[in-house]
Amino acid sequence: MLCHVNAVSTWAAETDSNAWSKADISVLRSLWIGSLLPLPKDPSNAFADNPMARDLGKQLFFDTSFSGNLKVSCATCHRPDMNFTDDLPLAHGMGSTTRRSMPLLGVAYSAWFFWDGRKDSLWSQALGPLESNVEHGFTRTACAYLISRNYRGEYEAIFGKLPDITKAVASPVTEEIAVLKTWACMTPDKRDDVNRIYANMGKALAAYVRTIVPGPSRFDKYVEALLNNDMSDLSGILTAREVNGLRLFIGKAKCTNCHNGPLFTNSDFHNTGVPAPAKLPSDKGRADGIRKVLSDEFNCLGRYSDALPQECVELRFLDTDTAKYIGAFKTPTLRNVAERAPYMHAGQFTVLKEVLQFYRHSESRELGHSELSDEEISELEAFLRTLSGPVAIREL
Amino acid sequence: MKAVVIIVLLLLPYTAFGAETIQSSSGPHTKHYEQSLFKMTEKDMFSAEMVLKDKDLKVGVNTIDLIVHDKNDKDVVGATVTVAPWMPEMGHGVFEKPVVIERGGGLYSVENIILIMGGRWELRIKVKKDNAEDSVTFEFPDVKSSKTQPQNEHKMLHSAAANVDTSTVRSSAKKLFKISYSSESGPVPIGRIISWKLRVAAADGRPVKNAEISISGDMPEHGHGLPTQPEVTNGMEDGDYIVHGLKFSMPGWWVITFKVKARDMADTVTFNLLVQ
Repeated sequence: MLCHVNAVSTWAAETDSNAWSKADISVLRSLWIGSLLPLPKDPSNAFADNPMARDLGKQLFFDTSFSGNLKVSCATCHRPDMNFTDDLPLAHGMGSTTRRSMPLLGVAYSAWFFWDGRKDSLWSQALGPLESNVEHGFTRTACAYLISRNYRGEYEAIFGKLPDITKAVASPVTEEIAVLKTWACMTPDKRDDVNRIYANMGKALAAYVRTIVPGPSRFDKYVEALLNNDMSDLSGILTAREVNGLRLFIGKAKCTNCHNGPLFTNSDFHNTGVPAPAKLPSDKGRADGIRKVLSDEFNCLGRYSDALPQECVELRFLDTDTAKYIGAFKTPTLRNVAERAPYMHAGQFTVLKEVLQFYRHSESRELGHSELSDEEISELEAFLRTLSGPVAIREL
Repeated sequence: MKAVVIIVLLLLPYTAFGAETIQSSSGPHTKHYEQSLFKMTEKDMFSAEMVLKDKDLKVGVNTIDLIVHDKNDKDVVGATVTVAPWMPEMGHGVFEKPVVIERGGGLYSVENIILIMGGRWELRIKVKKDNAEDSVTFEFPDVKSSKTQPQNEHKMLHSAAANVDTSTVRSSAKKLFKISYSSESGPVPIGRIISWKLRVAAADGRPVKNAEISISGDMPEHGHGLPTQPEVTNGMEDGDYIVHGLKFSMPGWWVITFKVKARDMADTVTFNLLVQ
């Protein structure tokens, strides 16, 4: 008799756990991968959806010859076998950087790039690491030379005839005086030639990276079944604990304040009070990112952008009150988050549970959740693990 | 004559409630309400009686009435009154300035006092009439419950958001303008730059041309605002304006405030939105 009662109550609990209100279902639909819109146009990159540019970009992405030690490519930190990121707290190319490699899944849906949003397009973003002495440790002149030597046919088929490019090691963004001096001694026309090839290289890389999007996860299958009124196997897709975690995620734990939409991010910048690693220099995050993007020669309003000025709405309406953004970093996607330890902008936390505990104990009224029990934290973690799915390459 | 009648009518309810007399160094002062807060200004130039609409300040949007008398207990008419909310422990105030509207007979209504979080708040009040200027601070040691009762706090914030007026047609604070907005891309989406169409009419319904309009946005429950700096430009028709570059980065309660200047008139209008 006792067994019978238990069986009935378990059944009732399971039925309840999959019952959602209309408002809940509209939130679930907004998080569902089926709500992901087509890739947004990038008016600053006329080649963003050009298949030849994508193919060239893919070759460049994996080519280690664009590095000071011939060992570093984009794929060094953005590994296809690791959701296009790596497993290190701080990205490591030629040397060690001060921030974690960003995940690339669905990155083309962002308006701002890097943890501090110091770039306003994917192609401009791709140019940063090439000239960073701790990443590729390369120069734009050397990039232009290698393009003319190794990719002439592919490049000219997309972007037109290459100008004469001589072998040089010169860059305006370097701490090496000799390299800077060589750049300064080049004629404005030669510098422009190099910049244009360099920008086009970024545009090809962006055309490839744009196609990297998340595939459906167990969470998406659950929502799809729910939307189709196919209630027969809901508990076969997500367990009761995972569903409890989902309910907390969109309800009491208020995770969707920042992690909203089908990519689970508002792509905005927030100072969450996450402790800075002791050995790193202080990092002002978005506050510095705003200054950098406004003065970037490769921004949407710059001469290498294909956009009309009125199309650069994000840059035009950018909030320039930097004081509000000190220590603010970009909200990352939560798609495949369980596959992507360590966490936060400098890899401060090694496992998901630490991230949840950090938010639980936060002193911030917006973020703190002292009311969540240990069990609820575990359920949230179980739910986050249901967001793992394959990496998809979107066809153009 | 009409003005005198209105003033008399306005004062009637105050006198009808059995006014009490408060003694101060400058002499006796009338306190009209039993449950109001009463203070002399720092230099004893004025008395200030504060009537809280909901008996206490709360997190969210508040309205108060202020009755200002001079040291001879006479109504102070035509004074410049400013009210600044301040959190002494946090060292900050609010993003939106409260709007003070003189009702006559020494009565000043203060609207749009948006307290963005719970805790100790002060309302710092300045009264300036001719050459006399003085200030007084009213203290509110515990505006709503804080971390000790997060559940209550959430409930309170939730109800504050649930009760706001989300109509898209509003009169400005001093009733100088009637303003409406419509979102050009339908329901307000999260995280995308959008435009609004704004219609500005005078109190008589005629469109207001060439107004100077500025915009600010806030999330009262979070204490931060818009991630963009929008701009307002003239639209196609008289009285039409376009708000460019709006972006809402979070779901929840948003407060959008427009400051409108036209034909030597300046006023403020506030819209509430619940972004889903």
